[in-house]
Amino acid sequence: MTLLPWKRSAHQSAHQTSGFEGLALPLLPSLYNVAFWLSRNATDAEDLVQETFLKALRGYASFEPGSNFRAWIFRILRNTYLTSRTGLAAMRTVALEDELGEGAESGMTLHPEGAIDRRTPEMNMIELANRAALQTAMEKLPPLLLEVILLCDIEEMKYREIAVILDVPIGTVMSRIARARAALRDVLQSSNALTRGFRA
Amino acid sequence: MSDHLSHELLSALVDGELAADQLARVNAHLADCPSCTSGALAQSLLKSATARTGQRYAPPTELQSRLARMVRQEVGRPPESTRSRRPLRAMPGLGFTGWATAFALLIILGGVVVLERNLQQSTAATTEFAGLVTEASDQHIATLAANLPPQVISSDRHTVKPWFQGRIPFSFNLPENLPSDTMLEGANLTYVHGHPAALLLYSIGKHRASIFLMEKSSTELADDSVAEHAGFHVIGFSTADLQAIAVSDVDTGRLSQLVSALKGAQTGDKR
Repeated sequence: MTLLPWKRSAHQSAHQTSGFEGLALPLLPSLYNVAFWLSRNATDAEDLVQETFLKALRGYASFEPGSNFRAWIFRILRNTYLTSRTGLAAMRTVALEDELGEGAESGMTLHPEGAIDRRTPEMNMIELANRAALQTAMEKLPPLLLEVILLCDIEEMKYREIAVILDVPIGTVMSRIARARAALRDVLQSSNALTRGFRA
Repeated sequence: MSDHLSHELLSALVDGELAADQLARVNAHLADCPSCTSGALAQSLLKSATARTGQRYAPPTELQSRLARMVRQEVGRPPESTRSRRPLRAMPGLGFTGWATAFALLIILGGVVVLERNLQQSTAATTEFAGLVTEASDQHIATLAANLPPQVISSDRHTVKPWFQGRIPFSFNLPENLPSDTMLEGANLTYVHGHPAALLLYSIGKHRASIFLMEKSSTELADDSVAEHAGFHVIGFSTADLQAIAVSDVDTGRLSQLVSALKGAQTGDKR
C-alpha cells in the first residue's frame, strides 16, 4: 500500500516515538545516576537528563538502527554535561592537571614498583566495605576520571564502547581507568592512615 | 623483580579486556608474583566495591513520567499541515442525548485516569521497595563485614536519638520497651538512595538487625512489605512522615516484633 506523503510522515513519526521510548526510557536510571554523579545535585541531574532526552529525540532520525543506542545517548549526555555551567566549571578546574597526567599512558606504570599494593586481601576487604569512604573518594575524582569509572564499573561498558562515548582512543580509556583506580586507592589509603592516626 | 605488571594491565585484567595472548602472559606472571597477584585482587575488590557504591542515585518517579510525556508530545505531535486551524465553536443540534453521551464519556475517562494513576503508583512503590531492599541489605552486609563500632555506641535511646540532631533533616522516636532479648547497640548516619537516613543497630539474641529510618518519599511503601534478599529477611513500613526498612537474619516473627515496637514509638504507642 502506498501512503500519501503526509500519512507516511505521520506513520514514521509514530514508529519513531515507540522506538525511541522503548530504547531510551529503560536507560533512564543509568543516565540519571551518571548525571547526578557528574553534576553533584538532583536539580542539575534532572535538567541534564531532560536536555539529553530532548536532544536525542530531535536527533533520533540520524541514529542508525542496529548501532549502539546506549553509547549514542551516553555520548549526548556527556556532551551536554561538558557544555553545561557545572560541566564547564568542573572541566576548567581540572584541565591543566589532566593534561599533565595524560602523558602517562601507553602502558607506563604510574607509581614506582614499591607502590604496588602489598596489603592483605582481608585488609582491603575491610577498607572497601566502608562505603562512605569510597563514596568520598569517588567524589574527589576529577570529572575525566570519574566518568570512566562510572561507565566501566557501574554501567559495565567495554573499553570500545567507552572510547566511542568519550571520543578518545581505547589506549586513553585504559590509561584513565588505571589512573582513576590508583587515585581511588590513594584516597582510601590516606583516609585509613588518617583514621589510624586519630585512633593511635 | 623489575617487570611488575602495570596498573593499566591489572585494570584491563579485571575488566576482562585483555586479548588471549596478553592474558596468557599476565597469568604466567601472576603465577610467580605474589605482589602482582595481590595487586590484581585489590583491583578486583575495588571494582566491585565501586560498582556497588556508584549505583547510588535513582531518578524520581515524576521525572520518568515527565520524560515519557515529553517524548510522546515531541514526536507524536502531528505535522503542521495536518493540524486543524479551525477555531472551536459550539456544535449546533447537540441535544440531550449528545450531552448525556459526553457526560458518560467524561465519567469513563475519569475512571480510566484514576485506575491508570493507581496502577502507576503501585508499580512505582514495588520498584522503590525492591531498590530499598537491595541497598539496605548491601549496607547491612557491609556493616557486619566491617565489624567497626557504631558512630554512636549506646543502648540508651536518650543518647542515640539526640545524636542525630543536626545530622538528619527529620526526627524519630525510639521505643522504651523492646521485645525480649533485643537490645539497641548504637547507630550510624548513612545514606539510602542518596538521602540521609538513621541506621539503628540492634541485637536480637545473637543476631544483628539494621533498621534504616528515612523521610517518606513521594512513593509510599506498602505497610509491612516483606521480602527476602541474599538470605536476609527484610520488612518495610511507613508512618505518617517516615519510612523504614528492617534487615536481619533473625526469624521474621522476632524481626516483626522489633518493627512493631519501632512503629508504635513513632505513633506514640508505648506497648
